[in-house]
Amino acid sequence: MLLTQQSRPVEGVTAALPAVAPSPRAPKRITARRLAGLAWILPAVVVLAVFVYLPLAQNLGFSTLEWDIYSGTQEFIGAENYQRLVADPIFWSSLWNNILYAVVSLAFQVFGAIVLAAVIESIRHDRWRRGLRAIYFVPSAISLTVAGLLFYFIYEPNLGLLNHALDAIGLGAWAQPWLGQESTAMMAIIVMSQWQGFGYSTLLFAVAIQRIPSELYEAAAIDGIGAVRRFFTITLPLVREMTGLMIIVTISGAFQVFNEVMVMTSGGPNNSTQVLGTWLYRNGFVRNDFGYAAAIATIIFVITLAIALVQLWINRRRRVEW
Amino acid sequence: MHAQRITAAAALAAASALVLAGCAGGNAAPAADVTDEPEYSGTLSILTKFGGDPLGPYFENLAAEYEELHPDVKVELIQETDQSVKDKTKTLTASGALPDIYFTWTGNWAQNFIDGGLAADLTEAIGPDTEWGKSFGEASLSAFEVDGKYFGIPLYNNGKFMGYNTAIFDEVGIEVPTTFEELIDSCAPLRAAGYEPIAFGNKDGWPALHYLQQLFAYNVPGDVLHDDFTPATATLDDPGYVAALEQFKTLVDECTDTGTGTNGVLYTTAQEALAGGRAAMYYQEILEFDTVTAEGNALTPEDFGIFQLPVPEGAKGEPGAIEGSPEGYLINAKSPRAALAVDFMKFATTPESATTLSSPPYGQPSTVVGAVTPETSSVAVFDGITKVNEASDLVIWLDTVTVPEVADAWLAGGEALISGGSTPEEVLESVRNASDAAE
Repeated sequence: MLLTQQSRPVEGVTAALPAVAPSPRAPKRITARRLAGLAWILPAVVVLAVFVYLPLAQNLGFSTLEWDIYSGTQEFIGAENYQRLVADPIFWSSLWNNILYAVVSLAFQVFGAIVLAAVIESIRHDRWRRGLRAIYFVPSAISLTVAGLLFYFIYEPNLGLLNHALDAIGLGAWAQPWLGQESTAMMAIIVMSQWQGFGYSTLLFAVAIQRIPSELYEAAAIDGIGAVRRFFTITLPLVREMTGLMIIVTISGAFQVFNEVMVMTSGGPNNSTQVLGTWLYRNGFVRNDFGYAAAIATIIFVITLAIALVQLWINRRRRVEW
Repeated sequence: MHAQRITAAAALAAASALVLAGCAGGNAAPAADVTDEPEYSGTLSILTKFGGDPLGPYFENLAAEYEELHPDVKVELIQETDQSVKDKTKTLTASGALPDIYFTWTGNWAQNFIDGGLAADLTEAIGPDTEWGKSFGEASLSAFEVDGKYFGIPLYNNGKFMGYNTAIFDEVGIEVPTTFEELIDSCAPLRAAGYEPIAFGNKDGWPALHYLQQLFAYNVPGDVLHDDFTPATATLDDPGYVAALEQFKTLVDECTDTGTGTNGVLYTTAQEALAGGRAAMYYQEILEFDTVTAEGNALTPEDFGIFQLPVPEGAKGEPGAIEGSPEGYLINAKSPRAALAVDFMKFATTPESATTLSSPPYGQPSTVVGAVTPETSSVAVFDGITKVNEASDLVIWLDTVTVPEVADAWLAGGEALISGGSTPEEVLESVRNASDAAE
């Protein structure tokens, strides 16, 4: 096993080739090859420009407007929408909900998933191992909308499975209108989301753990090192890359959450489950304030861009090879 | 480096041009002439609120019949539900892709389209002096009138009533309450008999607003209430508002099984509780009457009765007011097929079509005069529409009568009141702030 510096990219394929004297026709050939290369990437650039960068630029423009969708009139108001954001308490509570979502997701979908994956991969019986992997993965195969609806009915105060189950085991006093009150609604949504995403990250960590050479575990076992220490000294360091990736993906996903909240509460009751995505939607599609909605979209973009940049930075760091 | 600069400059210029192009906005199209002779060809697009069962087939059948009459016309239906039609309409509006004919509520909802020049002026086609106009009830027609011009085609009337199971009332031995206080008093014996007194689900927020708007109409003087719908004239300081909010909170706490958790229940779950015979009452629109008594439900049409939400004692508003209004369709002012659209809507409001619409399983009481009779409609629908016609004042739904910011504040406030997160005074304060900001 080696801890190596990731090799720097070679500056052009030709750098690796032996130096040869350029022929008189070389500049022409290079220009033709360059043009051919540009032609090959042009379709992808056009698609990216039209479907990614153009909407981004347009959104930035929209966020500086007061836009009446009915008359089509658009008035430039500069940074006024951003000033309103700062003074909007629901924007801040939405941001807090996204942060809460990210923190809980990190605990369950990253650190919880590593532990579970290590436990599953330590099972000797192959059939059990495969079976457990499949069982944990199944919720991830269900769409978020369907999972949201499913949990809506589990949480339903009158007919819901959860309250009935609590009642059946003598904990009826704990029964709650889970999605119907401000104090429990957000956590109820987050719990559903963990159930849905937990198996997927567990599977990814299981794959990462499978790549660790078994000799390391065998040597540790011969030296009398226990399972917990093996986890901390072998498993955890050697899945570091996957852990880094999952942290980024999980945090980034937490700031883009939308479907599950819309299906389960639409941001209610009393805006207690608003996240940035649903607050954007509500301002655009309920309050007809598309300029303000665009400003929220810009903030979401800035946050996710920052997370992506962190990811790029992490990917440049040392990596583990063996 | 030079090439990079040029590329960057070009990209910036392109992005700026695109942003400015986005800013230009607006839909340039010739104004529609609805009085033209229709040209029976092409595709006619219609956005309806009849998505799903049992209403879905109504427009499907209508479209099929129209296509049969005019083989060169293709009718393209976009059928949405009560909830999704709001988003769909706004998305289509923002993207300049409104269909030729589209659904509308009355009040601020329709006003936005009229002010934005997106609704064709139909005065010459449907005004009260025209042949088509004379086929509608006058009040229904005037619901879409602005400054003497008529913009909407009212399709059906609607109103809100307390639907109840007469068999349960008989079994428990209670009479139809005549005051709000009697209604509250009736809840304890109903619960003691094993029934949920009033089924209520407020997951979508608007069911609470329906109670509130009716109670506001009872508690707040009519002229004050109507002034308060518009931010420019609103004061929202009448003591009747707090009284109405308190009455609503009492009803939720004492008459529903879920109480403070009602925000977690779908209105359709509440509807099913009445239909399944588990609840004694459910506050509902006329449009729901035939659904709760549909074949297969425990509640039969014979055991179904309705009464107006009783007036609280000492209320200072309008006791004869009923919350409700017609719902209808607008014709896209920029549609090149406006005349064909008018022709289709005339077809949709013929006496035959109107009778079909008013009869089970649709049960949508048509605005066409003579379409709703004891023979064509269920007893409850006929009873409801008669009461709507006799009402001293029709008050439009709270979430469509006022501007979206204020409606949204009422939605959040209603939810907070139910869950106990806000007091009536705090709810009113938040709405007042939203109204001031919208001004």
